[in-house]
Amino acid sequence: MSTLEKPFKIEDLLQRNIWDVDEEPHIEIPLDDQEGLKKKALALLCPAGCYTLIGDRLIFSYEGCVECGLCRIITPSDKIRWTYPRSGKGVTYRYT
Amino acid sequence: MGDVGRKVPERFDVIVVGAGPAGCAASYMLAKSGFKVLLLERGRGPGSKELYGGRIYAQPLRDVWPDLDKKAPIHRWVTKERFSFTWGSRVVTLEYRVGRSVSFTTYLPEMAKWMADRATEAGALLVDEVVVDDIVVRDGRVVGVRSGTDFLRADVVIDAEGVNRILLEKLGLAERLDPGKVAIGAKEVLRVGEGAINDRLGLSKKEGLAWLVAGDVTEGVPGGGFIYTMKDTISVGIVLHVGRAVEAAEKGFLRTSIHGMVEKLRLHNYFKQIWGDADVVEYGGHLTIEGGLGLVPKKLYMDGFLVVGDAAGLLLNTGYTIRGVDFAVTSGKLAAETVVEAFNVGGPTEENLSVYESKLKSSFVWRELVKHRGISEIMSDPYYFTVLPALLTSLLKKLFEADYEEPTIMDAVFEAASEEDISIAKLLLKLASVVGRV
Amino acid sequence: MAGYRVVVGIKWVPNTQAVRFDPKTGTLIRQGVPAIINPQDLHAIEMALRLRDAYGGEVIVITMAPPPAVQGLEHAIGMGADRAILVTDRSFAGADTLATSYVLARAINKVEREIGRVDLAVFGQETIDSSTAHIGAQVASWLGWPYIYYVKQASLSNGSLRVVRQLEDVIEEYEAKLPAVISVLAKALRPRHVSLLNKLRARTERPIITWTNKDLGLDTRCVGLKGSPTIVAKVTYLPEVPRLKKVHKAENPREAARWLLKNLLSDEKTRDLIARALWGEGSA
Repeated sequence: MSTLEKPFKIEDLLQRNIWDVDEEPHIEIPLDDQEGLKKKALALLCPAGCYTLIGDRLIFSYEGCVECGLCRIITPSDKIRWTYPRSGKGVTYRYT
Repeated sequence: MGDVGRKVPERFDVIVVGAGPAGCAASYMLAKSGFKVLLLERGRGPGSKELYGGRIYAQPLRDVWPDLDKKAPIHRWVTKERFSFTWGSRVVTLEYRVGRSVSFTTYLPEMAKWMADRATEAGALLVDEVVVDDIVVRDGRVVGVRSGTDFLRADVVIDAEGVNRILLEKLGLAERLDPGKVAIGAKEVLRVGEGAINDRLGLSKKEGLAWLVAGDVTEGVPGGGFIYTMKDTISVGIVLHVGRAVEAAEKGFLRTSIHGMVEKLRLHNYFKQIWGDADVVEYGGHLTIEGGLGLVPKKLYMDGFLVVGDAAGLLLNTGYTIRGVDFAVTSGKLAAETVVEAFNVGGPTEENLSVYESKLKSSFVWRELVKHRGISEIMSDPYYFTVLPALLTSLLKKLFEADYEEPTIMDAVFEAASEEDISIAKLLLKLASVVGRV
Repeated sequence: MAGYRVVVGIKWVPNTQAVRFDPKTGTLIRQGVPAIINPQDLHAIEMALRLRDAYGGEVIVITMAPPPAVQGLEHAIGMGADRAILVTDRSFAGADTLATSYVLARAINKVEREIGRVDLAVFGQETIDSSTAHIGAQVASWLGWPYIYYVKQASLSNGSLRVVRQLEDVIEEYEAKLPAVISVLAKALRPRHVSLLNKLRARTERPIITWTNKDLGLDTRCVGLKGSPTIVAKVTYLPEVPRLKKVHKAENPREAARWLLKNLLSDEKTRDLIARALWGEGSA
């Protein structure tokens, strides 16, 4: 069976894009106090799977971020610092 | 020494923030009218951050670029429209063979680059890899933009920043996006091959297909799937109403991730025969406006300032068509016309730029948004995304999956409804309200 | 010119993050893959810019590459470099590190002849597409200048260079007479972002010069493929490390660590693997 007949993990999908990931994160979300975060929604709806739930703890990594802005609008604004990557970094699309 | 060129300008007539369809249209029109235009783009090259469904309505673009049909990177003209309801393994599909094609498919990164090239050929200056942090206001007037510690002056700033209205929010012209008024989309691009696409979908050369899917592909969340044919690839994606999806996820009703849904659609037995085991060549996501007038900012203009495109909340999703790029281009064009006229009558004052709003309100864009303003309520109601597909597929099951005796249509309707636990009275009321709204 | 003239050599490399295997054929897909500035070279640019900001002078970024590399040079000017030189010629294609360093060294000589004294040449530690770490050392050899690598910090005073060099287990301080060549330690700094006004300058003033071999006049036997003695004799892929594919959902970190340790030591195969990794073949 070809790998194409099974669902890809999000990492395998993201790996198909062109990336120039900044060494500094462009999104910061404090994870020590997770009160008020829509944890399940972030984990399921971030198209890049940047948010992962382990038990009821959320972990975040900015590397595969596709800069859609979803987490910015469903997280209280004092709980997230959200900017676009600078210097043309981040994802580059060709066929979308 | 060397080829040292022009001196670095200290100011521009117009700075346009964002080299998407709206920003490029505005820049092109203004540069063509002799304005000194700076087009700023955060990505590496124009188009590099663009992602949409896959289809553009052509006529509004021809108003800006009359040579569109000959010169633009058009992949296929949409000649087939399909709509499917899915429920489990059952699928109901409606196909419409288009008489006269009015829309085409293309990659938006490629299209945006084409538009940006038209703007720079007309004399606009494009600077990429730059994020604008603020629209700078002094004494109630927009005077330029700030990026990091750099300030650059302009008589007019046109905000074409896209759906994430970070600059508009800082200006106080827009609230943070209401999750109830936006959708999140994710899509894959599959390399199928031109011949295979034509053969499997019955398309001839340069003919394209647009296909919307509703039903359990979104697991009860308002939204849908979409499929568009490009030259030698097919785009496959899922769009979910953010407000409803967040609710469903937090309550534990939703278990599948959005990328998981896209993968399920790719591997769906009914749809996958179209692309077989074609490789995924790109994957991405984007926020989109749900439609209606709900996201139009408090003001579309200020002294020295105009808002265009997605930032202006101009997108229409009727459930059967989605129009964003043509609205964006039209708003960019109207903004450019407004600026040209404003300079003829004394400058880009708030009063002179207010003409933009009246131009927009008398354009087809606004008429469309007003006409379909009831649609967003329907598009956010889970009822239509569960009950309708369930009933329809169940009904057809009764009709077509009989071993000996087929029911009459009326019996089938009632049997299907009772099987799916659907109240016919409620359904009729809901359908009546749809007709009332649209 | 007051201050120091610093030349930074950068490489325009394929974005290896974007190169991937075709799952059907198992070959590399390079089509549509754009190039970027070698990431470590951004640290070299940053170090040069810091020296200029501290002592005055100018930063000239130089690359030997095909013409599309202008995009990378614009990026460098966007970061704040004063000017850039694209060294490009069909006859330079296919160069190994020896031929490349020769061209770069001669280009630096030309900078000295036509622009003025060069005090320092700065390179990144190594490139992501070939990882030889040769170029800095070879350019220094061609020029006859002292060379220091793994440089983490640099300062200039009275015609000499002081650097802090970080190795795995020691930190060394060196002093060298200018002119000199340095290679900057990987990830030593935080490269600055492209700024609006600098990028605008890159697009309007266009402070980028192009030199071909007509300008450099180098013997064609010493450049490009002809001037490259390196032969890649054989490529062997490392054997894949076998994985046991065990997944454990831990209750807490402490329990996870305990489980891991227990499994690592109790499983004979794993114990052998650890022993071999630590002490080499035959130690199990």
